[in-house]
Amino acid sequence: MSASTVALLIGLVSAAYMAWNIGANDVANAMGTSVGSGALSLAAAVVLAGIFEFAGASLVGTHVTETIRTGILDTSAFAADSPILGPEGPRILLLGMVSALLAAGLWLQLATSLGLPVSTTHSIVGALVGFALVSVGSHSVRWGVVAKVSASWVLSPILGAMVAAGMFLFVSHGILRREDPAGATRRLGPHLVGAVAFLLVLSFIYKVLGHIITSPPWWSVVGVAAVLAGLAFLMTKALIERGWQQPEQPFAYVERVFGRLQIVTACYVAFAHGANDVANAVGPAAAVVQIHSLGSLPPNVPVPEWILVAGGIGIVVGLATWGYKVIATVGGAITELTPTRGFSAEFGAATTVLVASRMGLPVSTTHCLVGAVIGVGLARGLAAINLRMVGRIVNSWIVTLPVAGALAVGLFEVLRYFLA
Amino acid sequence: MRTIHQLFGTSPFGPLVEHTKRVHATVELVRPLLDAYLDEQWDRLEELYEEISKREHKADVQKNEIRDHLPKFLFLPVDRGDLLSYLKEQDAIADATEDLAVMLTFRPRPTPETLKPMIRDFADQVIRTSELLVEAGSELVDLFEASFGGPEVDRVLEMVAEVNQQEWEADKRQRKVTRALLDEADGLDPVAVFLWMRTLNVLGRIANHAENTGDLLRMMVHRR
Repeated sequence: MSASTVALLIGLVSAAYMAWNIGANDVANAMGTSVGSGALSLAAAVVLAGIFEFAGASLVGTHVTETIRTGILDTSAFAADSPILGPEGPRILLLGMVSALLAAGLWLQLATSLGLPVSTTHSIVGALVGFALVSVGSHSVRWGVVAKVSASWVLSPILGAMVAAGMFLFVSHGILRREDPAGATRRLGPHLVGAVAFLLVLSFIYKVLGHIITSPPWWSVVGVAAVLAGLAFLMTKALIERGWQQPEQPFAYVERVFGRLQIVTACYVAFAHGANDVANAVGPAAAVVQIHSLGSLPPNVPVPEWILVAGGIGIVVGLATWGYKVIATVGGAITELTPTRGFSAEFGAATTVLVASRMGLPVSTTHCLVGAVIGVGLARGLAAINLRMVGRIVNSWIVTLPVAGALAVGLFEVLRYFLA
Repeated sequence: MRTIHQLFGTSPFGPLVEHTKRVHATVELVRPLLDAYLDEQWDRLEELYEEISKREHKADVQKNEIRDHLPKFLFLPVDRGDLLSYLKEQDAIADATEDLAVMLTFRPRPTPETLKPMIRDFADQVIRTSELLVEAGSELVDLFEASFGGPEVDRVLEMVAEVNQQEWEADKRQRKVTRALLDEADGLDPVAVFLWMRTLNVLGRIANHAENTGDLLRMMVHRR
């Protein structure tokens, strides 16, 4: 077995581990509250999460994957004809990608066992930048892209907070603060489901249609999304109207209905999460596979679809083998996030993540959700937010970059010693 | 674990309503307590004192439980200081009730017949004030659900205004019964007059604390 095949294998195993880890730990944030409120059974949550994570990863995962694979590093510095590293260039890039994957995976494992809330995205970006700095130097890092990505890490939780607060204010003014909250839910509920379904289907259909007709006209995409959203609207309306009677405890009724509506936003989060986070495992893996088969990493060659699918499968496996336990734990622990609040927070987080994914920005889903939760809290929706935990999350965000970077550097030196 | 569940603290609102109920459980015994005294059932008086003391302690336990779960780093939808003042003032209602029970057990003696109806009337008015406060305080959970806005807030503010009104009524009755007591003071044992003066004062304090609690509830809900 050649050295580069060994490196390939290590890379693929690490990528598989990353994908597994994403499925095992992060998916719980999307589905936990629905299981906790009793709106979904654990089994149903796992199945839905699996479907939507996979769809998000395989259909919308490309943009962010491109950024992770070739956006952050100037891969031309590693070309065989580049004067900096010479013919060894592609090989070093391959080792670097492998060490980045390995470093991010190790750091995630360590942080998880320490109970630190670190981000998969931050780990992999930190690891990539660390490797690039020692292998070629700071000019091989596309600082513009890194700056854009870093800005998105600060802005995305803020955007998540704003969208979530807006959604919660809408829910609280439109329903909770009305004389008849139950009647208002009956009126507005189907519209809310329609709106979420429209956004979800829009990003979904765009890709599916894109496979059937090249560059589908926007009106066909919007049309299909509108029809499907209309169906969701009618279905919700039928469900609410069936056996309608004025409930005795209006708030309990509102929460029960929102428990159902929240299933839609939970799927929305799972979809957005798959779209964004699959790149963390698959981006470097795609680079490794391409260098191994092509001998170089041409930036204009797209990510092969099968790699995204493999990443999606990895996430689903993580979910099925370990994630369901975390979902159950999180579901039992988040009793304070009632369905009206959960709905708003998930809507804010998923919208932000999906917008960022379309722009190719690798944001942290967890951080967007944390931002969204705080947004709901600022709109006076939450009983008690633990600000110390918010501080710990921000800290672990700051710590993750240098730690993942240093780990990647160390692992790269070790791999280079043995394999190059 | 990279999950968000550690982000949430325990909600103080459910426990606060529980505290309201525990406090009112002591006030509920004020009328039986006074009846026992006025009807000269001294054993029953002693029993009721024991029971009030037990219930007051339960309210205290609940108060400390809430305080223990409100560290400074929690972000709440209401001002933390307002919430703690509200809790403290509400607890003072139970304290005053216990004081009343203690006061009555000091020197059990027959009461002049002419004063009895006025004392009962005053006590009933104090209890009514506390009952209204319980109604207002019990809305906290729903208030939170409605994110402290809309008709739910108006409803609570109306209730608090009513608590004020009833406390004023209680004040008037306190003045009436105090005057009646002093009118008869010449023919009474001075120690009895002294004790009744203080007892009426403590009874009035229950209503005063209920009123203050209502005002703090209004502050907590209305701020921002």
